[in-house]
Amino acid sequence: MNSGIRFEDVSVEFSGRPVLRDLSLDLDHRRIAVIGANGSGKSTFARMLNGLVTPTRGEVRVHGIDPARQPKRVRRRVGFVFSNPDAQIIMPTVAEDVGFSLRGQGLSRPEIQARVAAALDRFGLTEQADAPAQTLSGGQKQLLALCAVLIREPGLVVADEPTAYLDAANSRRIAGFLLDEMPQQLVIVTHDPRLAVRCDVALRFEAGTLVDHGDPVAVVARYEEEQR
Amino acid sequence: MYRPGGSVLHRMPAGPKLLAVMALALTISLAPASPWLLAGAAALVLGGYLLTGLGLPELGRQLRGLRWLVLVMLVPQAVFLSLPAAAVNITRVVVVVLLAALVTLTTRTEDLIDAVARALGPLRRLGVNPSRIALMLSMTITTVPVIAGFAVQVREAQRARGVPVQPLAFVVPLLVMALKHSDDLADALTARGVD
Repeated sequence: MNSGIRFEDVSVEFSGRPVLRDLSLDLDHRRIAVIGANGSGKSTFARMLNGLVTPTRGEVRVHGIDPARQPKRVRRRVGFVFSNPDAQIIMPTVAEDVGFSLRGQGLSRPEIQARVAAALDRFGLTEQADAPAQTLSGGQKQLLALCAVLIREPGLVVADEPTAYLDAANSRRIAGFLLDEMPQQLVIVTHDPRLAVRCDVALRFEAGTLVDHGDPVAVVARYEEEQR
Repeated sequence: MYRPGGSVLHRMPAGPKLLAVMALALTISLAPASPWLLAGAAALVLGGYLLTGLGLPELGRQLRGLRWLVLVMLVPQAVFLSLPAAAVNITRVVVVVLLAALVTLTTRTEDLIDAVARALGPLRRLGVNPSRIALMLSMTITTVPVIAGFAVQVREAQRARGVPVQPLAFVVPLLVMALKHSDDLADALTARGVD
């Protein structure tokens, strides 16, 4: 399986309103930052990677899979972490929510329990295994969301502003895991330039158009210069 | 919500436990009212909570949670029936709710979901998807505290602005937040491979 992300002349419209225009791009980097103002099209770009949004024109390939034509296959390959940790919790307790990700994979109950226990241990959530998931702190909820995504062993993790709802300490913890510890390919949508510069490449969107991409330090510097 | 433990009720399979509670609930609801029935039902609930190891503090928490429901039911029934009749009806409801809570306290949600899905299995022939209904039930359990949290947020926002509490000004933003949450949850389900 290749690790390439390819966009060929992709445009997206919502109710006739263009939100992403004529995007052509090839990416093979491990850590990809996506920056830009609100409404610039960066979340639409991220959502196309696992088929939450389908292009109006053009073609997307993620690790060789077309998300529009093979949504189930791409969702096994691409995990998605949303900004609001509250809106990602499906099941009542922590262990059940992580285990939910393994349903329908033909695993026995003991196999699921063993994998869930190992995943919770990795994220320091073992003590909260039977706790109601909604009682966790914001940072713990985002760790739970990551845990629920990574237990499916995706090849690519897309994180749409994963630190937006978190305090400074939890932001550092989540960002450290995503950028430094996690072996998977990462696409991170962020408003935080400190996260963007730690990536291998940065893309900058503006009004639905990719206006800059390349070395993240240079892309962020040009963006901040224009903001002044 | 599930509380881990090793009692007989914790070890009992979810299906028979649900059936037993349903049978008890029907008996308590339909049998002619008598002091013996109500005393027996109350003793059953007390014994059940002691048996789980959660004990009287948990029973007290569950009863405190029911205080508004009791009040809402008591007032109209006391007005239109009689106080003894209202007390009997409310005792029946409280006992049944406390028995149902015993099931959720001693059974993991995933076991409940599996039991419900198995029970609804025969409906497949009528085009019903049992696992979807079971998932809907578990998501309802998950979402109740979220919606309660939204209600607190709306009330606090109104208080912070000094707005007097008005039903419409409370319900509309609560509905908007709930709908937005359901949209986000649908995206999360899709992203985790549920169609």
